[in-house]
Amino acid sequence: MIWQQLFNGLTVGSTYSLIAIGYTLIFGVLRIINMAHGQIFIFGSLVGLAVTVNSGLPILVAFAVSILISGVLGVALEFSAMRPLRKKNVPHLASLISTIGFAILVEQLTHLLFGADSRAVPAVATGSYEVGPLMVRQVDLIIIVVSVVLMIVLNYWINRTKMGKALRATAENGDTAGLLGINTNAIIILTVCIASALGGVAGMLIGLTYSALIPTMGLTLGFKGLAVLILGGVGSIPGAMVCGLILGMAEVLTVAYGDSSYRDAVAFGLIILILLLRPQGLFGKKA
Amino acid sequence: MDLLNSYNLQVLTFIVLNLILAISIYVTLSTGQLSLGHAGFMAMGAYGTAILTEQAGLPLFLAVIIAALGTGAISLLIGLPTLRLNGLYLAIATLGFGEVVRVIFLNLEITNGALGITGLHSIGSRVYDILKGFGIKSSTLGMNVLEVKALATLVVLLLLFLAVLFFILRLNRSRVGRAFSAIKADETAAMAMGINITYYKMLAFVIGSVLAGMCGGLFAHITTAITPDDFNYHRVVEILSFAVIGGSEVVIGPLFGATLLTALPEVLRVLSEYKMMFYGGLMVLVMAFRPHGLITAETFARFKRKKKQATGTLDDTNAREGM
Repeated sequence: MIWQQLFNGLTVGSTYSLIAIGYTLIFGVLRIINMAHGQIFIFGSLVGLAVTVNSGLPILVAFAVSILISGVLGVALEFSAMRPLRKKNVPHLASLISTIGFAILVEQLTHLLFGADSRAVPAVATGSYEVGPLMVRQVDLIIIVVSVVLMIVLNYWINRTKMGKALRATAENGDTAGLLGINTNAIIILTVCIASALGGVAGMLIGLTYSALIPTMGLTLGFKGLAVLILGGVGSIPGAMVCGLILGMAEVLTVAYGDSSYRDAVAFGLIILILLLRPQGLFGKKA
Repeated sequence: MDLLNSYNLQVLTFIVLNLILAISIYVTLSTGQLSLGHAGFMAMGAYGTAILTEQAGLPLFLAVIIAALGTGAISLLIGLPTLRLNGLYLAIATLGFGEVVRVIFLNLEITNGALGITGLHSIGSRVYDILKGFGIKSSTLGMNVLEVKALATLVVLLLLFLAVLFFILRLNRSRVGRAFSAIKADETAAMAMGINITYYKMLAFVIGSVLAGMCGGLFAHITTAITPDDFNYHRVVEILSFAVIGGSEVVIGPLFGATLLTALPEVLRVLSEYKMMFYGGLMVLVMAFRPHGLITAETFARFKRKKKQATGTLDDTNAREGM
């Protein structure tokens, strides 16, 4: 029983990791917490879902549309709420606040277009296997494989390619990177776009896990991503990957052995705990 | 008495309530800390006060004080692990806190879950009962009962607001207020000056939370009915936008913001339908073009300098000191 629960936690947790990586990427490059992340990708996923449900196209199309829309919204966020604030003499909280404003805009747009009701996600890959004590649904496998592959590709891209090097340089010191001939603005746009697109995938994967998407999920999932960010250490990509899984498992165990209504409180409890015990996060370096 | 109909009075009451809320977020922001838990603190104040008056039968003012202090104690627990760190941690932890408070109140029996607590004895009724005790009836004042109650609520809130405003203005002029602005300007420099920055940040955060808790208690006894959804994330954004759009450098800023943002949707009906969208858009625009808010310390400096110029006694040092 406990193995089954832990496996379920792993499935949910891998999507949390993807969400948290979105925050981490943007924070790494811009030192900004993007408070609109959750709202952006839930909007993208809902559009993707609506397109496939209305046209009868396969669910893969929903993923593509979700990635596209989330990415575009990410770029819109950069141009409206982030770039205007990258000048001198702006209070350090200003960018946080303007992303909150952008989040509210996207959330209200979602509400206008999709209402407040949850939307069913068509079932895919309904088969299942029995592996020892585990009952593994095919859809769980898809979720885990997609998340893991994306994380490996991202890691390779950041650490092994020229563009990844440019991204790391921009994260290290934007001004110097600019002086050395890196087009930092292009890198920033790319980062925001990739971060939001990863969210778009995560949103669809979560839809597959729960067989439904709820428009208000943007806030709750966004908060879970933020919790993972703090747990893993702000700015640490391996931290985001591992701690997403930890949060997923902690939540599932709470639901299984505690009270299911407090599922969303687990993330908060973990945040307070980690800040008391190890404020730099599990994988963070001491400041 | 046409202007003083109960609808107008109620709008005014909510403006005054929002003025106090604006001050509560201003205090926290005055050390450069962003709290996204003000709705949570309001909820605790509201539910605390409602339970104390309804179930324990305490008088309202005592219940508000106890609930507000209780809220402050909880905020201390959140501030403890977060305020030593970068301001970001407080923002995220309080955001989570707000959501958790909502979830807890949705599931507790004493708060009546999603239905919330209804049928509270309002401030207006309480004051009217006292007035009746003195033999003053609505007919003696030439108004109907509803109007008297609404007017009484407004007067009580106005008095409270003035008291809070007086307290904050005094605070700003004191050692504590100067420490706040030193921390906001430059934490490292403030620390080098021997200011205990964690202590002052905590003080600002707790004062803000206590005020928010107080507003919650008042809110519950103005609307007479509260549900957990009254204190969701939208409420946070609303309160935050007062200070952000109005400006958080001088206390006039958030007050202006609160008045403008509460009154506008009442005047322009179209806006009230898209209120949150309006707030969100305005937040992005103001941050892009006037990141310090619409009213800044500079606004007054320029105004004063112009005045001085007009009277012909331009004295640069005076003009600067007048700030």
